[in-house]
Amino acid sequence: MAEKEATVYIVDMGQSMGERHHGRPMTDLEWAMQYVWDRITATVATGRKTATVGVVGLRTDETINNLEEENFSNISILFGLGQVLMPDIRKLRETIKPSNTNRGDAISSIVIAMQMIIEYTKKNKYKRKIVLVTNGTGMMSDDNIEGIIEKMKEVNIELVIIGADFDDAEYGVKEEDKDSRKAENETLLRSLTEDCEGVYGTLEQAVSELDIPRIKVTKSMPSFKGNLMLGNPEEYDTAITIPVERYFRTYVAKPISASSFVPRSSTEPGSQAPVEGKGEGEGDALSSVRTSRTYQITDETAPGGKIDVERDDLAKGYEYGRTAVPIEQTDENVANLQTFAGMGLIGFVQKDQYDRYMHMSNTNIIIPQRANDNASLALSSLIHALYELESYAVARLVTKESKPPMLVLLAPSVEADYECLIEVQLPFAEDVRSYRFPPLDKIITVSGKVVTEHRNLPSAALKDAMSNFVDSMDFITTDDDGEPTDDLPIDESFSPLLHRIESAVRYRAVHPYDPVLDPSERLTQFAHPSEEMAKNSKSHLEKLMSTADVKKVPPKTKGRKRQRETEKPLSGLDVDALLSLEPKRTKISTENAIPEFKQTLSRAENIDAIHDAVQQMAKIIETQITHSLGHSNYDRVIEGLGTMREELVDYEEPVVYNDFVRQLKGKVLREELGGDRRELWWFVRKGKLGLIGKSEVDSSAVEEEEAQEFFATN
Amino acid sequence: MAEDYYTREEDNYEDEELDQTSFKSVKDAVLFAIDISSSMLTPRPSPDPKKHGDESPASAALKCAYHLMQQRIVSNPHDMIGVLLYGTKLSKFYDENEDDQEDLSYPHCYLYTDLDVPSAQEVKHLRSLTSPADGDDDVRQILEPSKEPVSMANMLFCANQIFTSKAPNFSSRRLFVVTDNDNPHADNKAMRSAATVRARDLYDLGVNIELFPISQSDHEFDTSKFYDDIIYKTSPSDGDAPAYLQPDTNASTGKGDGLTLLNSLLSSINSRSVPRRSLFSNVPLEIGPDFKISVNGYLLLKKQEPARSCFIWQGGETAQIAQGVTTLMSDETGQEIDKSSIRKAYKFGGEQVSFSIEEQQALRNFGDPVIRIIGFKPLSALPFWANVKHPSFIYPSEEGYIGSTRVFSALHQKLLDSEKLALVWFIPRRNASPVLAAMIAGAEKIDENGVQKIPPGMWIIALPFADDVRQNPDSKINRAGDALNNAMRDVIRQLQLPKAIYDPSKYPNPSLQWHYRILQAIALDEDFPESPDDKTVPKYRQVHKRAGDYILKWAEELNLQASEMFDGSAATSTLVKRGAKTEPASDHPPKRVKIEDSAPGVEDEVKKCFDKGTVSKLTMVVLKEFLHSHGRATAGKKADLVERVEQYFEQKL
Repeated sequence: MAEKEATVYIVDMGQSMGERHHGRPMTDLEWAMQYVWDRITATVATGRKTATVGVVGLRTDETINNLEEENFSNISILFGLGQVLMPDIRKLRETIKPSNTNRGDAISSIVIAMQMIIEYTKKNKYKRKIVLVTNGTGMMSDDNIEGIIEKMKEVNIELVIIGADFDDAEYGVKEEDKDSRKAENETLLRSLTEDCEGVYGTLEQAVSELDIPRIKVTKSMPSFKGNLMLGNPEEYDTAITIPVERYFRTYVAKPISASSFVPRSSTEPGSQAPVEGKGEGEGDALSSVRTSRTYQITDETAPGGKIDVERDDLAKGYEYGRTAVPIEQTDENVANLQTFAGMGLIGFVQKDQYDRYMHMSNTNIIIPQRANDNASLALSSLIHALYELESYAVARLVTKESKPPMLVLLAPSVEADYECLIEVQLPFAEDVRSYRFPPLDKIITVSGKVVTEHRNLPSAALKDAMSNFVDSMDFITTDDDGEPTDDLPIDESFSPLLHRIESAVRYRAVHPYDPVLDPSERLTQFAHPSEEMAKNSKSHLEKLMSTADVKKVPPKTKGRKRQRETEKPLSGLDVDALLSLEPKRTKISTENAIPEFKQTLSRAENIDAIHDAVQQMAKIIETQITHSLGHSNYDRVIEGLGTMREELVDYEEPVVYNDFVRQLKGKVLREELGGDRRELWWFVRKGKLGLIGKSEVDSSAVEEEEAQEFFATN
Repeated sequence: MAEDYYTREEDNYEDEELDQTSFKSVKDAVLFAIDISSSMLTPRPSPDPKKHGDESPASAALKCAYHLMQQRIVSNPHDMIGVLLYGTKLSKFYDENEDDQEDLSYPHCYLYTDLDVPSAQEVKHLRSLTSPADGDDDVRQILEPSKEPVSMANMLFCANQIFTSKAPNFSSRRLFVVTDNDNPHADNKAMRSAATVRARDLYDLGVNIELFPISQSDHEFDTSKFYDDIIYKTSPSDGDAPAYLQPDTNASTGKGDGLTLLNSLLSSINSRSVPRRSLFSNVPLEIGPDFKISVNGYLLLKKQEPARSCFIWQGGETAQIAQGVTTLMSDETGQEIDKSSIRKAYKFGGEQVSFSIEEQQALRNFGDPVIRIIGFKPLSALPFWANVKHPSFIYPSEEGYIGSTRVFSALHQKLLDSEKLALVWFIPRRNASPVLAAMIAGAEKIDENGVQKIPPGMWIIALPFADDVRQNPDSKINRAGDALNNAMRDVIRQLQLPKAIYDPSKYPNPSLQWHYRILQAIALDEDFPESPDDKTVPKYRQVHKRAGDYILKWAEELNLQASEMFDGSAATSTLVKRGAKTEPASDHPPKRVKIEDSAPGVEDEVKKCFDKGTVSKLTMVVLKEFLHSHGRATAGKKADLVERVEQYFEQKL
């Protein structure tokens, strides 16, 4: 459980806060509220009832507080401590506007905030905090300031004062021609925070740091508590057993997830929250979505070929190939391997023999059981022995009884004040997919000859240029003292999606009508090499580019008729010549339609021959549709259509295809091809087998729009 | 719990999106064409009489097909496989009458297993063929070679028809030809050219012929005699994939005994078992500003999970899977709603903060897909722990930029030579969340049969963001003294894995294999196997034999250091009871090298109660401690715990 919080924000709303200073496009209040809204919405986003917030207005027109004294005039409690919800945000947004007065004492407002906190939190354990944001121009009295400081310390409240154009030598802000009263106030506030051991800062810095993503610290729970074993203690006397615990080392933080809603159909009165405050934002006219699941089976005799079945009539089971294997409820666990929790060492491997890309998962750490000195001593010897031998351990890990075993790699981690094993999952045999690729440093010809000079192989000059370029692009990371380190910039890199969505949600909550913002620079700082690096490596890059001589493939020639040479078998035999001798191949046969269609096209000497081939193919396809039982032939039809389209694009004969597919659509819609074939049209659409548009082949007269509309069936 | 949640989540997260640019369905069909000639059926005896390796080439091929079929059920449950025997005396093709051997379309072609997603029956059926020795007469009849030669043209057209009708519109169709005859129509030119024409048909149909040649004892298989006219460099459907032309040297010289032959054939077929499907294609690899090459991405390492359970309806003749249909309803009106009217919103401050679909998309958009190099670092800068998921593999493609391969190769060699990694900004697909990643060069690896195991290319390893790094929990460090470390080093030295490497192929996933093994047994109504063949269980006997003495030495040293360091405090601590050794080591050798976390004697106490039949008298605390220290679940009522403890002892006996 996170600690309870009580934070009061004091917002200076004085008339002078409505002014713009030093050429800023926004008023001081707008500027201050950037900071305040960010902090408040960050709290709201946690959704925690115990993270309470209060808001006090300083230098307001009215006076709304319990201390009915002159000293406390023009100070208003705008929101008493409690959980902030959306309607409160809307209300505050309306309320917080510059007032028509500059009266109101900042020090008094702090007293009021203290009072609020003391009343609300009583003696309970809370994280107490007061944040004052002001431009420091009002009247401030230091009466009884010692009493305030004392009380502040006594109830343990953290005081944060942020000021617009407050001087801050450390951050480098100094306001020229500062008003003397403001200078006095700054001194007062600074000494107050110093005495309270609080934080005093300038608004410019506070706002500029808003885009530093805040990392949610998650307390890890052990994902395994059990024994690390070498050998089998149940069977042998020589087995080692060390009680250990396992925690996440890395774990991907996911962006907050959106839920599905539908707009409310009606806004009938009496409907429940969250409809209150209707019309304010757009988030409130939504109704949540429920899902219900029904089950269907294929039944040829039923209309539509499917019937509904009851969930209760179904057994749980699995697919084995195309056989459905039901599993009786009684032995539901029969297909689960019986396992017992534990981490059993299988053997050891050499660090330099391990390929880093075998890491399959997030990583964990293994530490000794809490308060078990012997365990920590024993584990320490394993960690150090692995470290000294430059070895890793391979282990079989079952985190809980009946869980599937994992194979994990254990690496020693020894730091000055910490040691542990780092654990990562290894691939099983089934996890490795063997795709083969030719070597990159040589070409092996069909005859087995090894070639080392080839257009796909880099020349010595290219290798050189690449080497120089790579060496000129060292990514520099530095430690706190600015010394270069060998670290990757993990600590400075933030999940772009997670933080962008989070800040977008918070921004929208306060500004419902603004468009979504671009990601902050901080989130995309690693999207490009730094300007400095780019500059340093520029000459090497230019040299590399000119040596490499890489040419972009113009989009037009992509997928163009393939090179004839590849259409020969390995021997290079001219099969085309043999084909033309085949006496039977004058007509395209149904059973061998696709090859024969392609071959006919490749032999075609004039457009008539192409027309003829397409016509024959069209007939075959139409017959297949007509004779299709349900959708039984549709895959063949789609393959035929797709082949035709592909070939005719390659031969730049879009008109022939377009004429054919238009006719086909007509026949499908008029149900001339064996009844209702709308489902087939859906497949045509999915396979994008409609008209060939201009963008694909220049000579087509079909505009993109027409090609799109063509898919519609009405 | 968290672990479990994580892996499930990962499934949705890592959308293994395949390129859907083509009209074809992304499926694979493999048809084995196995030559059944007398030489293929002649067993090749093993020189070592102890090995039962009297395997004939044909039976080796059938075993490979059977192996692949089983493997695909696990790893590619929607892909098809079939087995066509050719050169057989008998013929069989769909509903053609087998008895009427006169009027056959494809004489001496026997379609043994039709091309389809295999059923349990078909698995069994194929298995019966793999051990013809104990097979029945039917099997022997099927495996009888024909006296007259089979026409290769006919066989190829037969395969053509099978693919055309059974696997229409598949993106990958492959014909695996296994034969020892490198020149089937040596003296008949017409038949030979007919075969080349039929091979061209297959090529135009998009079927890839893959040859698994077997050399005969007296001569090497020579592809130039016939097969170079049959096989094409690439299949047209796989146009952009670079051809892998290196012959499997050892596979083709499978001249040795049957077992060697089987192994090399297996390894060769395994390496081609999965059709190559890209994860993303033609993504620019941006080496510098304005300098791009094109690459394709593949998933070479991906956790294979068992297929999800489903619901089965058994009311009909055959059990069938019920398809779940989800309907969405408005909570307000209870009416069904159309997907298009759904809006996404985030819960915030007790209400919803919503975005339009366009805004939602805009928020996820960080630019076009790219792998952009932002700098280089030494390889050693990549910490062991900096990992969040499996890697992606990239290989150059000439489709987007001509010259990509040579540039990629130059970078590959440079990174290998200088032991550097490239830091990259990586967006694999449109609207995919960008990651910062380390790109490292991987060298090609070849196995003992000369078959490529790991292809050359680059691996992209996503790095954790600062958000993904967890703080180390507090842990008290008791550093071991040198003597103890040295003792442990001696233990480790004894227990290196072969070649000091981790070889995934040696470790099939035991729960996955068991799962499908049981399903097979249920589907075929066979007896369940006694115990799983679990290769991941450590070899306890070996540990004892090889390292036992060293472990005892280590334990002694541990005991010594512990008593020095903790000065008896450990012994009295309530949490550390019987340390590695509390008995004086001189009296009797240590019984248990165990750092107990349980109260002293829990072990003995429970055992005693079990012997007396009074386990139920023990307290929950003791029961839980006992079960936990033996890796058993500790949830449930007392009765459950008692039962579990009793089970534990009963199993041990």
